Amino acid sequence: MSYRLGCGIVRVVINMRLKGIRRFHYARDLEEALSLLSAYGGRGAVLAGGLDLARSARADLEGLIDISGLGLSYVRAEGGGLRIGATTTLTDLLESRPAREYLGGFLGEVLRQVAAPPLRNQATFGGAVVSAHPWADIPTVLVALGAEVSFQDEAGRHKGLLEELWEKPFRHIFKGAVLTEVILPPWDGAFAFAKLTRSAYDIALLNCACGLGIQDGRISWARVALGATPRRGRRLPWLEDLLVGKEPGPGLWAEVKELVPEKVEVGTDRRASGDWRRAVAGPLLTRCLARAARKVTGGNL
Amino acid sequence: MKIYLELNGKQRYEEVAPGESLLSLLRRLGMKSVKQGCATGDCGACTVLLDGRAVRACTVFAPQVRGRRVTTLEGLGDVDDPHPLQEAFVEAGAVQCGFCTPGMIMVAYELLSRNDNPTPEEVREAISGNLCRCTGYVKIVDAILLAAKWKREGKWR
Ligand SMILES: Cc1cc2nc3c(=O)[nH]c(=O)nc-3n(C[C@H](O)[C@H](O)[C@H](O)COP(=O)(O)OP(=O)(O)OC[C@H]3O[C@@H](n4cnc5c(N)ncnc54)[C@H](O)[C@@H]3O)c2cc1C
Ligand code: FES
Ligand code: FES
Repeated sequence: MSYRLGCGIVRVVINMRLKGIRRFHYARDLEEALSLLSAYGGRGAVLAGGLDLARSARADLEGLIDISGLGLSYVRAEGGGLRIGATTTLTDLLESRPAREYLGGFLGEVLRQVAAPPLRNQATFGGAVVSAHPWADIPTVLVALGAEVSFQDEAGRHKGLLEELWEKPFRHIFKGAVLTEVILPPWDGAFAFAKLTRSAYDIALLNCACGLGIQDGRISWARVALGATPRRGRRLPWLEDLLVGKEPGPGLWAEVKELVPEKVEVGTDRRASGDWRRAVAGPLLTRCLARAARKVTGGNL
Repeated sequence: MKIYLELNGKQRYEEVAPGESLLSLLRRLGMKSVKQGCATGDCGACTVLLDGRAVRACTVFAPQVRGRRVTTLEGLGDVDDPHPLQEAFVEAGAVQCGFCTPGMIMVAYELLSRNDNPTPEEVREAISGNLCRCTGYVKIVDAILLAAKWKREGKWR
């Protein structure tokens, strides 16, 4: 379809960018999804919410394998942790009782800052894990939380720590595997999340997730991850080590703020410069740490 | 391939291409309220309801709506018999060029179906992913709050 506008012709394309798609399959079970994936030999893709695939420019894809009928939409509390089925939408997760109870509603605090409600109605948690955009908030949070995932390929079932999986060529793994579940462990403490964006709806220029345990007035454990650096969220072991054993409060936050610019690994992309990221990382991290500490103590740290 | 769907309360059996977007299907079926702004999920102009939840029609593959309920603005009301939300947008002066209006109304419809007494902040959060280049949003928020008031007073359908 084309319209004449002024002196030029504007072509209006209302189909998806994925031009090569020939077949759409509704997988009835995991085995069928896996055998279809294998039959396509890399030219087929698992379709969950479809938000990313619809925007993808992959010209090689010929088949889509819809996994929404596999019974993988659920959120279960287990031993203080959470088990989240891969096709659970971000909205269903946000609204579920187990997620609202996990870590005092921490996931709600994060997910309300992810995209906008109509996108959260479509996006799945598993899709966010497999896409793992470097700028995304969910990977940063999952690394800080120590999330594990279960997935299945033709060789069988596997389980792994996301943090380790993301260091491997994980996109290659998921060309022939279906992610089935994300497992969040229990933590005796509190987590907070913070991100910097141009507007509430924009994607992060830098994001971080911090978790702290406090015993006898001192930090007993710390988990800190920084993302959109512009790389995908990663933990900051030097900062976690520095925090443990210290008394949380303005003195410690000032020490952290001073060290961050020299220690933190950040870079430049088209959205922000490395210098800018270096300058704002300290205030962002300390704001997030202070919020986590306040949640644990209920006090004014 | 052929799929069944319920479109604005009517059962349909439609031919779709495996890689076609729901936006494309709906416009082919004459639902011209569903606009294409960006085609990447960013602007909200193509928002429709899928089983009562607002989604972007440009990022849903048409075969994904097999057996599901799709509602577009045409399913809420028209010029002769406008829905109270449409009337509220006119009453509050929330329409200028009108390109964003169908998407805004569909998002508002989902919000009000869950919460008929939203705060201005909740309305702003609901429409936060829908872009309007004309109004400055203030009158859109006013329109949704007005429609919520009408809903609480029973002027609704
Ligand atoms: C406009 C916009 C704004 C966004 N804003 C944010 C934001 O603010 N913060 C943030 O963190 N994220 C954001 N996102 C990212 C969003 O969270 C992801 O796009 C979404 O979760 C993808 O999920 P999906 O189910 O739609 O994925 P799909 O498009 O269905 O799949 C994505 C990829 O993962 C694969 N896949 C999906 N599920 C599985 C599975 N179970 N097993 C194996 N492979 C699988 C697919 O084959 C595909 O390669 C945004 C996205 C958009 C489009
Ligand atoms: S056209 Fe669908 S969100 Fe912009
Ligand atoms: S009224 Fe013109 S874009 Fe909103």
